[in-house]
Amino acid sequence: MITSIIPLPIAIPLMVAAFISLAGNWIGRRACDLLASATAAVNVWITCSILHGVWSQPQVYWFGNWWPRAGGVVLGICFVIDTFAGMLAVLVCVLTLAGLIFSWKIFEDTENHFQPLMLIFMAAMCGFSYTGDLFNLFVFFELMSVSAFALCGLKTLEPAPLQGAFNFAIVNTVGAFMIVGGIGLLYARTGALNFAQVGRSLGTHADALVLLAFLLIAVGYMVKAAIVPFHFWLADAHAVAPSPVCVLFSGVMVELGIYAVARIYWTIFAGALGVHTHGLQSIFTSMAAITAVIGALMCFAEHHLKRLLAFSTIAHSGLMLAGVGLLTPGALAGFLIYVLSHGVIKGGLFLCAGIVLHRFQRIGEDHLHGCGRGMWFTAALFILGAWGLAGAPPFGTLFGEDLISHGAKGTHYSWLIFIFLFAEVLTSAAVLRITFRIFFGWGEPAPSDKSSRIEERAETEQSHERVPAVMFIPAAALIVLGITITAFPQIRSAVKDGAHQFTSQSAYASAVLENVQITLVRSSEHEEVSSSIIRSVIALLLSFLLALGTVFREQFGRALNFTRSLELGNAKLRRAHSGHPGDYVAWLSFGTAVVGGSLFLLLH
Amino acid sequence: MILAYLPYAIAAWIFLWGLYGIVTSKNLVHQVVCLAILQTSTYVLLLAIGYKVGGTAPVFADIPVGTVVVDPLVQALMLTDIVVEATVMALLLSMVVKANELAGTVDPEELRFLMG
Amino acid sequence: MSARVRTIFFLCSAAGLVAIFIWGFLDLPPLGDYRGPYGNAVVQIAVYERHATDVVNAINYDYRAFDTLGEEFIFFASVLGVLLLFRPTGTDDKGDKHKTKLEDALPISDALRVSMQAMVGTMIVFGVYMVTHGQLTPGGGFQGGVILASAPLVVYLSGDVKTFEAIIASPLIKLAECGGAAGYAAIGTAALLFGTHFLTNIIPLGTTGDLFSSGAIAVISAVVGLEITGGFVLLMKTYLREIVEERLGESE
Repeated sequence: MITSIIPLPIAIPLMVAAFISLAGNWIGRRACDLLASATAAVNVWITCSILHGVWSQPQVYWFGNWWPRAGGVVLGICFVIDTFAGMLAVLVCVLTLAGLIFSWKIFEDTENHFQPLMLIFMAAMCGFSYTGDLFNLFVFFELMSVSAFALCGLKTLEPAPLQGAFNFAIVNTVGAFMIVGGIGLLYARTGALNFAQVGRSLGTHADALVLLAFLLIAVGYMVKAAIVPFHFWLADAHAVAPSPVCVLFSGVMVELGIYAVARIYWTIFAGALGVHTHGLQSIFTSMAAITAVIGALMCFAEHHLKRLLAFSTIAHSGLMLAGVGLLTPGALAGFLIYVLSHGVIKGGLFLCAGIVLHRFQRIGEDHLHGCGRGMWFTAALFILGAWGLAGAPPFGTLFGEDLISHGAKGTHYSWLIFIFLFAEVLTSAAVLRITFRIFFGWGEPAPSDKSSRIEERAETEQSHERVPAVMFIPAAALIVLGITITAFPQIRSAVKDGAHQFTSQSAYASAVLENVQITLVRSSEHEEVSSSIIRSVIALLLSFLLALGTVFREQFGRALNFTRSLELGNAKLRRAHSGHPGDYVAWLSFGTAVVGGSLFLLLH
Repeated sequence: MILAYLPYAIAAWIFLWGLYGIVTSKNLVHQVVCLAILQTSTYVLLLAIGYKVGGTAPVFADIPVGTVVVDPLVQALMLTDIVVEATVMALLLSMVVKANELAGTVDPEELRFLMG
Repeated sequence: MSARVRTIFFLCSAAGLVAIFIWGFLDLPPLGDYRGPYGNAVVQIAVYERHATDVVNAINYDYRAFDTLGEEFIFFASVLGVLLLFRPTGTDDKGDKHKTKLEDALPISDALRVSMQAMVGTMIVFGVYMVTHGQLTPGGGFQGGVILASAPLVVYLSGDVKTFEAIIASPLIKLAECGGAAGYAAIGTAALLFGTHFLTNIIPLGTTGDLFSSGAIAVISAVVGLEITGGFVLLMKTYLREIVEERLGESE
């Protein structure tokens, strides 16, 4: 009976975190590591069981047994677990497990504060995926954020991690309190905090208050999702956070921001903003396209491994926002499939970056030229990761991108396909470029720039000759997991059915408020992926060519000079990423004003 | 009419001042305090939303059930908000102290370790 | 961006934001016109259902207890974060000196000492009163915990450095903090073991107005009070140690 295990993915890690914090110094470092990893493994098992239980029928769980009253008035908090929520929680726990196992070898001196924070982070993200209440979503968002700030600033021997964590904290907290403002406004209009009840009370008419509430809440979550122009904090945070923590940031935390926007739109605002669908589509897809392009350009212009991967996350976040922003069930299904595959691939790539750091004590591409010769397995993982980022078979990103493109094709947004191609080619080429330079030693050393000077103090004390298995196995396992979506078509059809459910506001409300079982709409479209396969193979080839061209640019004379300017990046764009929190908040205000202005133009 | 919307205007005013403070600040501690000010704007908004004319505190220890009271939920939300604010402040200020110790400055213009 | 460009850029966006806020806020119900179903429903029934006279705490620790669990762990995570940030990194060796220096860092004023000594007992009693009466009157675990946590600081300010050091060195502080945090989750899980949903109030409700009423609300309030007290004393210990070390660094 899964009802009794639903709160466990949150309760168990929290209790174990408190225990490790208390008894850590007595039971010793090894025992804490084992206990934390075991808890994460148990959580993987529990979330998988919950997913199995909700595969055909979403479950609603009322905390404290506070069922809704007559008239649909909700006094308590509920979890509403459907396929989407279930799968996201499994992703969270898998990535945390990989990160915790990876960290056995590093962090000699964290006094056992690291493992409790990771467990709390995992519990918060699981709760975030499952919840069905506005304020509960905010509380888990803050819990996620506070643990993230603390984990980000972990390396306290240089000032850069503290600056990164500070920028992260300021920008995200401004976003969080905009969310509270939006929640307050919705409460003023509807007197409720439960998604279903608010959605029902809002009805079908949207006035300025509803739009303002939507603006504040959506912008707040898009700050977490690192959508341009709210994205500046992400690269700073990733540059300085430890590798296992970056896995969680890029693998699932950013994606949860987009998930929150989707969830809130479809359960609360779909009815009220339904007439404005076209306008909303244009706003979201433009933001998505700008994010993908800027993320891809900055990604190729970076030479610090982790910042490069961070910008590629921003680019892919744009792609995922496009999946949500097209506001159709098909594209939404593509979003989740993309999240699941991208999450594990990106997680694996960050762990590989961590391996490089562990082995060489350096993380700038120019410093590492040729150092990795002989590390064939790690090089293979990087190449496979780049393959996945290009969306090529056999990785699941292919299917995600296919569904989103399919959703875009029939509408005015077919140009999105070219944006995807651009982003995929550049991000994949960037990873290939660093692989060729670091692991094969091809070409000239990379141009050095300020960002690769960010001193990355080693996460361990001495550099080692061999890569420990405990670091290599999680990285390899994660990248291999990127294939599971392809390997199991049942997952894909469950996601598509789940997307139809997700986008049905009335079914959600009846399930939550009247305990009506949702009948599953079995989607009958079969998969037509051949055009996507062709596109993705082209993308992969282009990215190989671009990477090779950049690395061997000298041999080809002037013809390939454009790769040099791509690699150095646009100076103005780079200056905008200045590391100053005041700048970031100024951009945040600008973005809010622009999105708000567009939303208000919609009304007229 | 103005009085009826004044608290909301005040909430918006405080929010924008907090943002202005963060954007133009030359001192990290000042930035953190401006963030706290921004957070207080949400308290004003929430409490104003829950207010009922003629209502008293929603504590029935000495008044009979059925008296007009203000909305207790926004007060509960605000308590959570205050705890969140206090904890984020504590963490941020610790980061500032540590950054000052390592870099010798609290001026964001001078902390330029992460650029481009 | 230079400071001037940034300010102008922000002011333009702020102008846009002002317009948006005015437009949106005009559709809010005017002040005092609260219409929503939640508040009206809960004030009618909370006293009867929960036997608690403080409806705000009934919401915090019962109807929406799950939120408060998250909030408590936000505090816990933040304390962990501060401890992580200020952890000894092996590059400083002034550990032993700080004990004697705490006395030097103490502000010397007889008026302060006398008034603080008088206040310690009052603060502790008041703190305990607030934590235990959460279900009856405004107060509860969070507020009472903060007052209790200030009591050791008052001890320090009253000049009794030895007692202060004994307090902050005690393992009970960490036990209170972690026990409080885990205890809240354990209370919720205990409900699971009894066959109902997480955080259901399974403790007998008692009579309204009594000290031992409202079941789990009082217990959760006490547990939260423990955690907040422990957490704040830990924070105080970390900050004081940091300040004393900095002063040591300055004077050398």
